[in-house]
Amino acid sequence: MSAETTGMKSQKFDVKARILPPLVTGQEYALIGVLVLLWILLGIFTPAFLTAGSIQPLLGNVAPIALIGVGMTFVIITAGIDISVGAGIMVSAVVSAQLMVSFDIPLALVIPAAVGVGLGLGLINGLLVAYGGVHAIIITFGTLNLFQYLGLRIFGSQTVNGIPPTLEVFGNGAGGRIWGIPVSFAVAVVFILASWWFLRNTAWGRSFYAIGGNQNAARLAGIPVQTRVLSAYVVTGGLVGLGSLMVVAQGTNSLMQNVGQGRELAIIAAVVIGGTSIMGGRGSVLGTVLGAILVQTVVTGVTQLGWPSQLGNLFVGLFIIISVGADILRDKARSKSA
Amino acid sequence: MSTPSTQTIKTVSSKHAGNSRSPIVRGLTRFGVTLLTQRAALLSILLVGLIITMTVMDALDMLSGPYDAKYLASSTIALVGLAMLALAQLIVIVSGRGGIDLSVGSMVSLSGVFFGYTYGMWGWDLWTAFIATMVIGAVLGAINGILIAYVGFPPLIMTLATFYAYRSLALVFSDQKPINSPVIQEFYSAARAVQIPGLEFIPPIPLGVITFLIPTAIFVWILMNKTVFGRRLYAIGTNDVAALWTGIDVKATRMWAFTLSGIISSLVAIYTVAQFASARPDAGTSGSGMALPAITIAVLGGVAITGGIGRVGGVIIAGLLIVWLNAGILLAIPGNVGAQTPLLALGLVLIGSSLLNAATRKRFGGI
Repeated sequence: MSAETTGMKSQKFDVKARILPPLVTGQEYALIGVLVLLWILLGIFTPAFLTAGSIQPLLGNVAPIALIGVGMTFVIITAGIDISVGAGIMVSAVVSAQLMVSFDIPLALVIPAAVGVGLGLGLINGLLVAYGGVHAIIITFGTLNLFQYLGLRIFGSQTVNGIPPTLEVFGNGAGGRIWGIPVSFAVAVVFILASWWFLRNTAWGRSFYAIGGNQNAARLAGIPVQTRVLSAYVVTGGLVGLGSLMVVAQGTNSLMQNVGQGRELAIIAAVVIGGTSIMGGRGSVLGTVLGAILVQTVVTGVTQLGWPSQLGNLFVGLFIIISVGADILRDKARSKSA
Repeated sequence: MSTPSTQTIKTVSSKHAGNSRSPIVRGLTRFGVTLLTQRAALLSILLVGLIITMTVMDALDMLSGPYDAKYLASSTIALVGLAMLALAQLIVIVSGRGGIDLSVGSMVSLSGVFFGYTYGMWGWDLWTAFIATMVIGAVLGAINGILIAYVGFPPLIMTLATFYAYRSLALVFSDQKPINSPVIQEFYSAARAVQIPGLEFIPPIPLGVITFLIPTAIFVWILMNKTVFGRRLYAIGTNDVAALWTGIDVKATRMWAFTLSGIISSLVAIYTVAQFASARPDAGTSGSGMALPAITIAVLGGVAITGGIGRVGGVIIAGLLIVWLNAGILLAIPGNVGAQTPLLALGLVLIGSSLLNAATRKRFGGI
């Protein structure tokens, strides 16, 4: 922060360059290093890891976490949080599954339906958080329960069976790949690049950082805080809708009631491992993607090494502690040198 | 939320002092303000309203079973673990700086597995295993507390990390199988319903309410209201810089808050073992886990997420309200829908009460 303000004094033409954060931050370099190291180690110890048959589903499974993680990054940068995304996945997953089963609608209609449902849920969250004057964690705890109720009612029975292969383009099968790249991952990458540019280079994107840094200062600087906060939750909702289609596509042809359960914590873990500060005002989507890949690599690696699969979560926990701990230490070093 | 409080207090007080309305109107106004500003009062009214509504519905034969004292007493079995963990959240959230403990469910699972092994498999006697489990809970909580208070981890993140780590350890140690043995199956008697001797007019109450919940609630109440530690906790939650300047060891106090949360979680673990007659490694983490409902009850009970505000009474009444509301819904709405409606009720009550809170805090001050 302090480095950015001193940049204001310098000549006009390099102000923009100084105010903008670096393209890739220290945390992201560290994450890339850890990922390369892990992939090399896993490649050495498990011959099956560095094969297309293992990497393709890994990237496919990363896609919904990274995609929704983009929205979660926006929300957390504004110093908010959205605990309800797991329940949101459930609602839009069951709506799209029921539509496909009952009406056999084509892909071109399933996508807008799911995204529309997600946007609606995000709008509820956004309105309550932006205009209610209550902390986001409480609001989204509440909407989590409401969405779960809504989803269970739409489920009707225990499962939705006989889902047609309409969504195979987002799945982990052969129909979900173009030139060997999982389509779901490619879609996620497009959104990541767009939102990376959006957060870094547009006034709207920068205002998220300003709101997260100091909401009152942002308001006094003329930022329409409430609309901007609302937009972050609506975007998250839309991405939840899109991501839920990937979740459905990657599952079997019947949808269980526990779909999406616990995903909210995995998504928050990816965002936090990626170096986004839970206090708001700092973070990037690039880190979130790296965090999501790291989490999925650990989960896949543990299984392929033949270790108990539940050990994966232990490493996820340790990675959260290490990456946030590194961030805290860097922050202390920064404030000491300033 | 912050600055206009002095101004609103002035307008409120002048309205009260300067009016010439009758004492009845003034009394009603004061009653209304109390209802809006005192969470425990509002929840008590809701609780009474709920019981009256359900009793009337019962009398009109609209329920599938009797909603009477016996039913209410037996449904408190759902209250034990929920309310104890909500009290743990009370301690942690009051300590401020975004205090929250997402890892309570995982601590329940992990210390439950430990209790299952020591008491059920290794033949430790009950009290040794009991104390040892509490020590394990304290250690698990202290790991959270030390990293949060002394290193500076945000509580949400730290306890998210240990939520994963402890849950994983519980499943790995137990090989993903519930721990079961004759000793543990006998321990089920600790969760049975009992008649209190001498008070036969009270229907049988689940033993856990008497042996676990009430002692914990009394302990936390004394701790928060009658001890130096409790006052320090409220002080650091209200303003930890000011607390530091008054000479309070802010870091140690915060660390102990999380340690206490671990200890209470281990007590819930022991109770859960009795309730299920086996030590399940996913006892606190199956489904959406125990942490989210516990936090919800705490917030509903008037614990301010910003720290420094929250009372034991409010949390217990909130727990009773939710448990008895759910019990009523199960009778009023048959089948699947009845099992799902509590989610709707919980969500609406939580959002409604917190929005009301925010609005009244602006208008009248107080919680």
